Amino acid sequence: MARVELNVNLNRVEGDLELALSLEDGVVVEARTVGTLYRGFEQILVGRSPRDALVLTPRVCGICGTAHLYTAVLALEHAWRVPVPANATRIRNVCLIAEGIQNDLRQTFLFFAPDFRNARYRDRPWFAAAEAEFAPFSGRVHRETLAITRRVVEVVAHFGGQWPHSSYMVPGGVTSPADARRLLACRTIFAEVREWYERIVIGAPLDEWLALDSAAGYFEWLERPAHAASALGLVSRCARDLGLQRMAAGTPHMISFGAWCDPANWDAPHSARLMPGGFYDGDTGCIAELDQALINEHVRHSWFRPYSGGRHPWQGETIPDYQPGSDRYTWAKAPRYADKVVQTGPLAELLIGGDALIADLYATEGGNAWLRQFARVRRIAYELVQAERHLHELAEHLGEPHIVNPAKNAEIDGEGYGLIMAARGALGHWLRIRDGVIEKYQIVTPTAWNASPRDSAGLPGHWEQSLVGLSVADPDDPVEIGHVIRSHDPCLVCTVHMLETGKRWRFLP
Amino acid sequence: MATLFWLQTGACGGESLAILSAQSPSIEQLFATHGVELLWHPSLSSASMREHDRLIEAIGAGERTLDILCVEGSIVTAPRGTGLYDSYRGRARMEIVRELAQRAGVVVAMGTCAAFGGVHAAAPNPSDCIGLQFDRDLPSGLLPAEWRSRRGWPVVNLAGCPAHPHTMTQTLAWLAAGMPLPLDELNRPLAFFNTVVHQGCTRNEYHEYDIEDTEFGGKACLFFNLGCQGPMTQAVCNSDLWNGVNSKTRAGVPCFGCTSPDFPREVDLFSTEKIGDIPVRLPMGVERARYMAYKNLARAAAPARVEGKDMDV
Repeated sequence: MARVELNVNLNRVEGDLELALSLEDGVVVEARTVGTLYRGFEQILVGRSPRDALVLTPRVCGICGTAHLYTAVLALEHAWRVPVPANATRIRNVCLIAEGIQNDLRQTFLFFAPDFRNARYRDRPWFAAAEAEFAPFSGRVHRETLAITRRVVEVVAHFGGQWPHSSYMVPGGVTSPADARRLLACRTIFAEVREWYERIVIGAPLDEWLALDSAAGYFEWLERPAHAASALGLVSRCARDLGLQRMAAGTPHMISFGAWCDPANWDAPHSARLMPGGFYDGDTGCIAELDQALINEHVRHSWFRPYSGGRHPWQGETIPDYQPGSDRYTWAKAPRYADKVVQTGPLAELLIGGDALIADLYATEGGNAWLRQFARVRRIAYELVQAERHLHELAEHLGEPHIVNPAKNAEIDGEGYGLIMAARGALGHWLRIRDGVIEKYQIVTPTAWNASPRDSAGLPGHWEQSLVGLSVADPDDPVEIGHVIRSHDPCLVCTVHMLETGKRWRFLP
Repeated sequence: MATLFWLQTGACGGESLAILSAQSPSIEQLFATHGVELLWHPSLSSASMREHDRLIEAIGAGERTLDILCVEGSIVTAPRGTGLYDSYRGRARMEIVRELAQRAGVVVAMGTCAAFGGVHAAAPNPSDCIGLQFDRDLPSGLLPAEWRSRRGWPVVNLAGCPAHPHTMTQTLAWLAAGMPLPLDELNRPLAFFNTVVHQGCTRNEYHEYDIEDTEFGGKACLFFNLGCQGPMTQAVCNSDLWNGVNSKTRAGVPCFGCTSPDFPREVDLFSTEKIGDIPVRLPMGVERARYMAYKNLARAAAPARVEGKDMDV
């Protein structure tokens, strides 16, 4: 048996990723995910004024800064027990949706789909179509994705001044109200996005698409010319022809924090969500209510000062302990839910949230790389419906407050957390304030869940599990790994603990 | 055609995402009609990493001409000056930057991280970040102060967190055309840094009449109480609106001075330090005594619509 050690780097993953793989006869038998960058955001926040988190944490990630901002403001509002007026939540949700649509379209058509143009697929019947649609800067869908995503982030700019990186959500609300000009501008943008999504992405009216509720129904759609010729139809045809629907199940357990805070339900800690979250137990198929106290992080295989078992973020610590040459191999911590390895992202969000089509596809074929990508595109339909609803409600409630600034004596010492479904999945910030400044700040990103290393029980993280069993035809151009990892919408810049190891055996004696 | 290689070091990807919002020219126009040939971009290139490695080798060996090197992100030098906290295939990224910079016609720092160290270099600077040719405002970045590119340029600093989309695409188009590009003392192109954020802010009239907000969500000026750095910060945010529609200060968000070498300041970012009633840092070039006299007069002259914040900004 030929055993090969392979280090793989990937581009189009928002940050830098290296994977250390062991292959036997071309099949992955062991995988370790290794981030390539350490920045130390959590240390930078310590000792600063609590509101500074609203400026610093969006800069954790250039593609989902609104999600970090939203999570940070919820953590502050939780710590200070600050209620928020309904219009502020509506505006926050509209901006998060705009950023989410931006992400989902760019990730699908700029990052994931170009792999179908790999020279190895030259003889496939869909190759010419993939080239015509997805080739960078010349493919039709690629170019139109650039244009429509440029347009949709204008929504964030209308309320936040700019995208990326603004700080317009502050404790108690947002800095500018909805008025007729902003609402009409945003309504126009979402109408354009909806028209493009219907015509180019799914080839059908939104209502029909959302009413689709069975796997059999979707496979029938795939034969219908309008959908087959659409961008999602092409992605599905390419992916399914390559067998991505049988690839990379990973862990069966999933987590969602629930999508979109409920504007009508505003008692801190703001747990009411328009689409419910929870924990999907892959062993029983049951969905349990989410309990953030069950989240912990392990460092057994990470370069942090060791502690036994897992620790909740409030008990956790981030003390570097660089020990190359040991069996610790990464600076990513290993987050676990009730000590289980979980995955997060649009598949988890829609499965736990109750989308019938995703539930049936999952029941039919299980978790897989195609379904993860498919769920990301399907989520856009929900985002569009929610955006339209929120804009409509804002118009109906014009003139109601967009902010109620907390009284000075409300800005107390204490603990708080914020939980949000970011584009890539479950994002949590945990914060402790003492003597008026940040004493502790812990961030658990969606990619930290998915890209986690082994934990103290030796359980590999979700990506590490997803890659095992995969055949890699050409180690110099491992496109299969690209399909699998990119289907998770990885964001390595977000995985803030990560530190590069280089080749993992590099420091071995 | 001017070849362009885009390298990410200790970054959040903000510049890569921001440049996608540029409209005149857009990033695709830069390649289609402004004479820029994209050799590599980490988020947009679809070739394999093998091709990326070959390109770096070919540029290093002088077999491939590199006209413009864009670097996005802080230069990570930890641990102990090795740079291995940010490496690629076991090699410190700062070494790759150094190698490519020697071959480049011009090196462009995309954003404040690459220019001055940026947010990652904020205290306690856990990964020992610096900028390409500056460390904050000191001339002690990765490359020495006297360093010049093949075409004779210091590192061109397109500061901002993120850099403004048009500051990026317009500078690149200008450089590709081989036009002269005067720089300020921080090596930022004057054309994009010769205006302050305060100029063009719709809240300017409130400042003029000394009507200042004391809490968030209002309509008035954010300079006196809420930490706005607009009157001291050079950038085009209010003369060339973000995403074509708005700016932070117009939306009621203080300017945090993100194009400055000291971004992010160590003080509370949402409040203004004052001596008595007057901010410690005054609008660029203003004399303290005259400013106080003017403010008292201005306040008395404020029209009711401004005083009452009755009109939209």
